Amino acid sequence: MDEKVKVADRGKTLEDLKQTDADLRLPSVVEPAHFPIETLAPEARQQTPAVGQRATRPDGRLHGLGQTKYIDDITFPNMLHAKIKRAGIAAALIKSIDTSEAEKMPGVMAVLTGNEIPVNSFGPSYQDQPVLAYERVFHAGDGVAAVAALTEQIAVEALDKIKVEYEPIEAVFDPMLAMQEDAPKVHPPHDNVYATKAIKKGDVEKGFAEADKIFEGRFSTQMIEHVPLEPHASIAEWDGNGRVTLWSSLGRITLGRADISRTLNMPINKIRIVGTVVGGNFGGKNEITTEPVLALLSKKTGRPVKMIYSREEEFIASTTRHPFIMDYKTGVMNDGRIVARKVRLVLDGGAYCSWSETTLGKACILSAGPYNIDNLHVEAFCTYTNKTMAGAMRGFGAPQVCFAYESHMDDIAHDLGIDPLEIRMLNAFEEGSLSPTGQVLQSVVVKESLQTAAERFGWKEFSK
Amino acid sequence: MKHRGKGIGCMWYPIGFTVAANPSAATVKVNEDGTATLLTGTVETGQGSLTVLGQIAAEELGISTEDVHVVSADTDATPMDTGAIASRTTYVTGNAIQLAAERAKNILFEVAAPMLGVRPDQLEARDRKIQVKGYPQSALPVGEVANHAQNGAGTPAIGSASYNPPTVAMDPETGQGKPFSTYVYATQIAEVEVDDETGEVQVIRIAAAHDCGTAINPMLVEGQVQGGISMGVGMALEEEMLFDDQGRQINPNLTNYIMPTSLDMPHIDVDIVENFDPTGPFGAKGVGEPTAVATSAAILNAVYDAVGVRVPNLPATSEKVLAAIKAKRNADPKRVSAS
Repeated sequence: MDEKVKVADRGKTLEDLKQTDADLRLPSVVEPAHFPIETLAPEARQQTPAVGQRATRPDGRLHGLGQTKYIDDITFPNMLHAKIKRAGIAAALIKSIDTSEAEKMPGVMAVLTGNEIPVNSFGPSYQDQPVLAYERVFHAGDGVAAVAALTEQIAVEALDKIKVEYEPIEAVFDPMLAMQEDAPKVHPPHDNVYATKAIKKGDVEKGFAEADKIFEGRFSTQMIEHVPLEPHASIAEWDGNGRVTLWSSLGRITLGRADISRTLNMPINKIRIVGTVVGGNFGGKNEITTEPVLALLSKKTGRPVKMIYSREEEFIASTTRHPFIMDYKTGVMNDGRIVARKVRLVLDGGAYCSWSETTLGKACILSAGPYNIDNLHVEAFCTYTNKTMAGAMRGFGAPQVCFAYESHMDDIAHDLGIDPLEIRMLNAFEEGSLSPTGQVLQSVVVKESLQTAAERFGWKEFSK
Repeated sequence: MKHRGKGIGCMWYPIGFTVAANPSAATVKVNEDGTATLLTGTVETGQGSLTVLGQIAAEELGISTEDVHVVSADTDATPMDTGAIASRTTYVTGNAIQLAAERAKNILFEVAAPMLGVRPDQLEARDRKIQVKGYPQSALPVGEVANHAQNGAGTPAIGSASYNPPTVAMDPETGQGKPFSTYVYATQIAEVEVDDETGEVQVIRIAAAHDCGTAINPMLVEGQVQGGISMGVGMALEEEMLFDDQGRQINPNLTNYIMPTSLDMPHIDVDIVENFDPTGPFGAKGVGEPTAVATSAAILNAVYDAVGVRVPNLPATSEKVLAAIKAKRNADPKRVSAS
């Protein structure tokens, strides 16, 4: 102690200062704490056999330390920042786009509109979505022009200088109205209903005739956003050799590369996608968004270009969960056995198909629930509306139909005076049950899951 | 007054794409020290899939999770993969990886067989060793075999394979067919408390019993279930994107789009229902999406049990629940409190 005071009294040497500085600094990556490993069992991830181990993630330490590099943390020399101007009008013809004032702004390096994109359309089932809207706006979140600038702030300011002239046209927002003959067409000349599916098993009318009781109900669900913590983000670099590399938050890089190849009209082997660490997907990052735009802005400027969606863009310009309108009609015997069910589903797909076809198909197959129903008829429709597009989201229509068939199930149980657990046990699939599509089901544990959850919850003992 | 109620949500969910091909390919390279490198084109989107995929490769090679380094998501370097979608990664990519690892392992067996004086089909890979089945005393460290394979025999232990789930197209009229290779099943039971003066619903706890076939990593399965339930709570009670009459969103921000925070989360008990699917890697199926399916149904059925009102349109906001309680009271004025 005295020694240190003396040192301080003498005044600090350069060595002292260096030491003080080193003491104050935290290492950029903290070394793992050293425990006396020989006294502990090996960690789960070091043990064999590997399957069944509660192995920690190899990327866990940096996540825990907040040092994982997401696209927001990645920067390249001379990198530019891009922003996209959103239409803000749900349905319109674009009369003109004037970017001249934006191009004159100091710090603005390039502006891009839809006519500069070699193939200005994409989509997993139908290529009905423009990368940047050019002739027509289909929903308010459509991008109409993009700017690459030295800073994000300059890019945002430049968007205000872009003048777009719109001619408003009639829009439709309600899926039931959109299905009507005289509804305004979202994608003329195509009908608004762009996908229908059906499942028929047994004879549903005969089933209803034999049933002791018939129950009906209509259920509906809302539009939901994925809300990943990390919004959609990408960096594009078009290099001098004519190859483009994209660092992207895409969850599906193989499909993404094919889509980018199509929109840019260039061979797949000239495109590289590096999937970065993704801060949440939930189905919302299964399609390209800004990647072709950034690639072309990079080509124009010869510099890497980054864009990260704002939270608002994440809501208005990325896919969402489909709102459903679901009509259920079920015939049951007095003992609770379901003998017939009719289901009608209407999906609000928003402005573009995206993953609607898949969502419709899965919802259709799953809509009767994990129950043996000999007589089943499901019909399902998906329709365009001038709203944010619905697409893939965790469950692909299953959470919507599950809410309906399970609500309906409890209504039936309540009316018949049967315990909700019992009525499900009575109707549940078993090993070898036939699915609504006639598939023989294997490794079926519906009843086991019902019993396990009921036991854990204390279903029978529960009192209000 | 506050009322408690219980409700069940039971569900089934398929693994992989509906009929359409959704293949994965993988390459497994055993290094000369017995560690391995796995190449996969899928993307880690936060769920821990790379850990699970590494465990599958490790299991086939008889080494530990730590021994496998996973390289992913670079279209220049990694094999094609349909990607992180449709709850398919553990099952489809996992099957491709198991097959690739088996091919690499077979090279090790070919090299080890003469070293141990047995036929390759008499060998197994366990505990970082290549050993004779039923006679583990006769064994060689996997690193020694891998080194000999590469630097002695000149046959480095590298395996590549692909997998696509078998399906049968659906009839367009009747939908009959085999759209998926396999399905998972689950039940969630919720306890809620409903305030009949405000309509507020508090989810107290959820018991979730999920089938995923073999749980390759039970900790990550539990994480998926907890995450799925948080999305289910939001769908049931809070989240809704709203539009004005011109089709413009009115709440595109986290101030006005209400979603569950940690304070809204119920107590969750996760049970993994014991199961084994012979078509999956080591019996595994999948778990990602199914965790978010049954939650809102369970919560709304619990609300029904608590106060006797059915809210048929989600989300069941306090306003909607209160309106339903009031409507029920008006229809049945003799009953002071609902249910």
